Amino acid sequence: MKGLPTLDVAGRKWSRRAALRLAGAGALCAGGGRLARAQPQEVIRFGLTPVFLTNDLELLNALQAYLATETGYEIELITRRTYQEVTALLVSGQLDAAWICGYPFVHYRDQLELVAVPDWNGKPLYQSYLIVSSERQATSLDDLAGDIHAFSDPDSNSGYLVTRTLLFERGLDPDVFFRKTMFTYGHRNVIRAVASGLAQSGSVDGYVWEVMREIEPDLVNRTRPLRKSEWLGFPPVATSKALAHSRRIDALTRALLSMAQSQEGQRVLGMLRLTGFENADPSIFDGIATKVAMLRGVL
Amino acid sequence: MSLRSSIRTLPLAVRVPAMVVILMVAVSGLISERVLDRLSTTQEIYLQRLASAYLDGVVASITPSVLREDSWEVFDGIERLKPSADDILPLETVVTGKNAIVLASSDPEARETLRPLDSSFAGQFNGTGVTIDPETRSGYVRRDITYQDQLIGAVYAVFDVSSLLRERQQILVTLLATNGLFTAFLGFVGFVAVRGMIRPMQVLETHMVEAAAGSPTPIADSEFPSTDNEAASVYRAYNALVRSGAEKQALARQLAEEEKLASLGRLASGMAHEINNPLGGLMNAVDTLRLHGDRRTVRESSIELIQRGLQGIREVVEAALAIYRPDRLARPLAEQDFADIRLLVRPELRRKRQRLDYRLEGRLETDPRWPAGPIRQAMLNLLLNAAAATPEDGRVGLCVTVTPQGLDISVSDEGAGMPQSARSILTDPKNREVPPDSGGLGLWIVREIADDLEASISLSSEPGSRSVIRLSIPRNTSEISNAA
Repeated sequence: MKGLPTLDVAGRKWSRRAALRLAGAGALCAGGGRLARAQPQEVIRFGLTPVFLTNDLELLNALQAYLATETGYEIELITRRTYQEVTALLVSGQLDAAWICGYPFVHYRDQLELVAVPDWNGKPLYQSYLIVSSERQATSLDDLAGDIHAFSDPDSNSGYLVTRTLLFERGLDPDVFFRKTMFTYGHRNVIRAVASGLAQSGSVDGYVWEVMREIEPDLVNRTRPLRKSEWLGFPPVATSKALAHSRRIDALTRALLSMAQSQEGQRVLGMLRLTGFENADPSIFDGIATKVAMLRGVL
Repeated sequence: MSLRSSIRTLPLAVRVPAMVVILMVAVSGLISERVLDRLSTTQEIYLQRLASAYLDGVVASITPSVLREDSWEVFDGIERLKPSADDILPLETVVTGKNAIVLASSDPEARETLRPLDSSFAGQFNGTGVTIDPETRSGYVRRDITYQDQLIGAVYAVFDVSSLLRERQQILVTLLATNGLFTAFLGFVGFVAVRGMIRPMQVLETHMVEAAAGSPTPIADSEFPSTDNEAASVYRAYNALVRSGAEKQALARQLAEEEKLASLGRLASGMAHEINNPLGGLMNAVDTLRLHGDRRTVRESSIELIQRGLQGIREVVEAALAIYRPDRLARPLAEQDFADIRLLVRPELRRKRQRLDYRLEGRLETDPRWPAGPIRQAMLNLLLNAAAATPEDGRVGLCVTVTPQGLDISVSDEGAGMPQSARSILTDPKNREVPPDSGGLGLWIVREIADDLEASISLSSEPGSRSVIRLSIPRNTSEISNAA
């Protein structure tokens, strides 16, 4: 846990700049990708989505260093602003692997294969939180009618799908039930929007909310979970079916699964507040799949 | 007393520095006002530029989001663009879309998202320039957001201008302190300088006041300025004047003394006669005693005669001595003094075959203690003067009246009226000079005595007719004096 407050502060101040740099790095990477095709075994292109707490450089550097050491491959970390962009890169084979959300994984289930699923508190599960301002008296979803509601991302399970399904089950249309909905493209941003009062309620990743409460208590304690969803499959690391069982994906899988065994890996897990990665059964995403199925034809 | 006259009565050493201070206060007030006005303009320009730079950044960053009415992106843009290094920080930034609906605000709880902007808040923004409100210590500036020449929204920014106002306050305090110190310093310098300049005048004034009080003293060498300047020259002139006055006074005293001796001389012959008269009787009595002293009745009558004669001689001698040595007469005036005076002037009157009409009205009491010496001297001088003015076989009057206010001594003659010079010596307040020759010296002494006794002299005299000189001595006159 050493150095976490520094990570937090740096994360708040530099997240946007770091994202820009990383986006630049991603562009370079795409250029280098053509060379990489000549020597494909040398580089693993690993995509990251906003499921991440922040785009913190220290975390990215540590993760990159760990994976490079463990896999023996050069690691290129590629970040994008939306889930959709990362998923599209992954599905199209422009990324070797990516840390995506359970919802895109379910959506592209026939094209994607699990590499590893993170364990949070020892389980590959998490919840979606419906959050409101900590001072608000609301007790149920019904109290949120007429709110400005902040979603994280239209391709996020916890930041959109769960609340969307909840409303659907009650026969409600979010654009009618809420006065206005907005996408903030980041779970941290959902918390910021609700904490500041810009939005009166939000849908957020429970893992992100809980971990950020340790890192940024001043921000997060201005919000409180109004409703917690059932336990759902944690956002997994996935690869395209075409690359599954390739040497570098196998190397990546081993590196992720053995992360808890090395000091460097422990450091990365510490930053992420995770206990490790496991080779989970895809059935843990059945809950998400049910929701997707429920909304098929609606979305 | 009006303010103006009160100011005029202030000493010069206070008035001049006060004028310097007033002038400096006026000048420093004017300068301070100009400096603060200039500072205020500069600060507003500075704030305007700072605000413009900030608003330019905000507008460029959020315009696409405003077009999409994406409240989150607008909010995120405001948060990201909030400067942290400047002294002047935006306290609040509000972005509105079409129809003045709040898209996002840096403080969404104060300006609710997607609600119309509070008109009282919007009312604090005037035009495109910065409006500073010292009460809220805030600066208000507004910028329209246009896209393809279409107005799509506006940015309202409120800046914390405490640092600017604090700077103004500090500069004002610095100006006041500096000007205050400078003014006080100049006032002090002015005070010292003026006091130095008017110091000779003050010294001169002190000595002149002393001189007016009757005891002029020359300015001591220690009081002379170290350099030989105008003050030294004035001091020398003053000292010369004092010396001259002292010499004149000494001369007057000498003349008075001489006059006293002269009048005594004139009296002496008469006194000799006064003494001679009883002497003849005394000699006869002595002879009678020698021849018929064995007879008791003769002896007793002769001794009685001798005693009366000697008594008369003693009176004459004592009266003369009293005139010559008035200091021996440091006792209150008594009725005996009038008898003495009559005795003293009798020979002179007799010489001119004149008569004295003497009258005393009222009783002389022991209080007030009018000094006998000077009053005797004054009466003698007036009577001798009256006798001189009155022709042979004429009458001279001495009327002494004790009144509730004091003592009136009137001396009348049957002369041809008092000449103007003599009248001037007695009554002219401007004429304090010793008479140029011995003429009128007796009257001058009377005047001196009268002044000393705070007595008044009145004349009823017409040219060609008898004159009456009245000396009115108040009851509250000074105690025994040695004026004569």
